[in-house]
Amino acid sequence: MKIQEIMSQKVETISPDATTKDAARIMHDLHIGSLPVINADGQLLGIITDRDICCKVVATGRDAGWTKVHEVMHKDITTCFDDQEIDAAAELMTSQHIRRLAVLDRNNSMSGFLSVDDLARGSHELASNVLKASTPAH
Amino acid sequence: MKIQDIMSTKVESILPTATLRRAAQKMDQLDIGALPIISGEGTLLGIITDRDISCFAVAMGHEPNSTEVQKVMTKEVFTCFEDQDISDAASLMEDKHIRRLTVLNHDNSVVGLLSVDDLAHGSHDLAGAVLEAATPIH
Repeated sequence: MKIQEIMSQKVETISPDATTKDAARIMHDLHIGSLPVINADGQLLGIITDRDICCKVVATGRDAGWTKVHEVMHKDITTCFDDQEIDAAAELMTSQHIRRLAVLDRNNSMSGFLSVDDLARGSHELASNVLKASTPAH
Repeated sequence: MKIQDIMSTKVESILPTATLRRAAQKMDQLDIGALPIISGEGTLLGIITDRDISCFAVAMGHEPNSTEVQKVMTKEVFTCFEDQDISDAASLMEDKHIRRLTVLNHDNSVVGLLSVDDLAHGSHDLAGAVLEAATPIH
């Protein structure tokens, strides 16, 4: 099964200069837990999660209304291609101890997102292995 | 297999009067995503997650240094007993579209937490089904 068959395609994004409070509001309204950070040229710069806002903004006493997304986003994004097999995605998540991948097409444009939840629709076993390998609670 | 065979027994809790910032610090330091809120008398009052802090408190503009966790905690806590079968826990998570349960003993004391990650150690299929039923990303 190919990644493009189970990935989430409609991906909401955020600008690096938006505030973390804006990011929190978008995640709240859309019931999502992460946003890819894309600049005006459409380049993928990073990713920000609900947990980043909790642990890097609230825990450290920063003001979410002033802290910009680019200050706390993850810059090392793990990616895969939409025409790869889901086994390859699962292996990547398992070895990197992560639960989400940004999915690119062969022009290196962002084409979707693959979470462990999406993976469960393809294979319970692959998804379970990712959960077992991932860091606690994250 | 019983819930007590796979649950996480290291349960950290927080008082209802602690601030959101303190809860966020605790989650960051302990690498966990949820804290049960337990009163001084040992009563389970609610639960708060990293997502509640970012997507609810931050998004709604609550001040993390002065807002108490009891103001934003989820009061409806889904629980199970440690001696139940893991399939009961999975059914409850699926029904409620959630990823975590608070585990009680028969004196109604909190003795553990059971996440879908823990469930993956017991059964790939049960964990996969919970992921498929869960609300997106969270």
